[in-house]
Amino acid sequence: MEQEIQIRLERHDGVTVFDMHGDLTAFSEPFLKEAYNNANDEGARKILLKFQESAYINSGGIAVLIQLLAETKRNNQQIGITGLSEHFKKIFHMVGITKFAKIHNTVEEALESLSGS
Amino acid sequence: MDLPLGYLFRGLDDDQLKRIAAVAREVSMENGEQICREEEEAKDLYILKTGAVELMTKVENDVELPISILQNPGDIFGSGVLIAPYLYSLTARCAGTGILFRIEGSALQKLMGEDRDLGCIIMTNLAGHFLARLKESRQEIKIHFNTLLRSYR
Repeated sequence: MEQEIQIRLERHDGVTVFDMHGDLTAFSEPFLKEAYNNANDEGARKILLKFQESAYINSGGIAVLIQLLAETKRNNQQIGITGLSEHFKKIFHMVGITKFAKIHNTVEEALESLSGS
Repeated sequence: MDLPLGYLFRGLDDDQLKRIAAVAREVSMENGEQICREEEEAKDLYILKTGAVELMTKVENDVELPISILQNPGDIFGSGVLIAPYLYSLTARCAGTGILFRIEGSALQKLMGEDRDLGCIIMTNLAGHFLARLKESRQEIKIHFNTLLRSYR
């Protein structure tokens, strides 16, 4: 069974980090929406989605993520992803998410890439 | 044998559970091992004892979408053994070396035929499980449609 997602917002070097704990499913939508709205209220231009390596992301979670990526694209925001297990890095490549968000191996690498751009 | 209690067998009495346990066999699984494949004939029901199993569905060009991860003792997959046309609806792959209980579909159906109360409880539990999955699928469809609609505006 999946664990409900919890999202904490942090700011590092001009990047808003979504520190996500738990699994991402279709039912995560309101939580991710709320986090995104809060980030937008604070004027976020660069966003990093930080997953735990143990996180499980099912097809519903991928749908929620695609919805978020579409929104960030519309709002000309930059977005990166980190913390994924090798399994989900592969899946994200297969479904094309990497065309809209860069996947980074570490938080440091992600922050350097986003804040430097 | 102590069978971990999954959603399918909730509400069965001790005697009924003993009869289910009597037809269950322990099998080991290795990480990455495919246990059953989508659209294959469903012959066995599986109950997780230890380890983890990921359920996937094939999209196209060998792209598989993750549907669920089973990690708790008692988690069940392979319910296609109970419903015609008796095919597995998802592919199940071992995501962490462990042990499963395997129950032959024919043996389970025989028990359900001999004890109608047992059969009724199992099918009621199965219906509840499918309803929860249907709600989740509908939620996913709504999200996709929302994304599509917003892309047109």
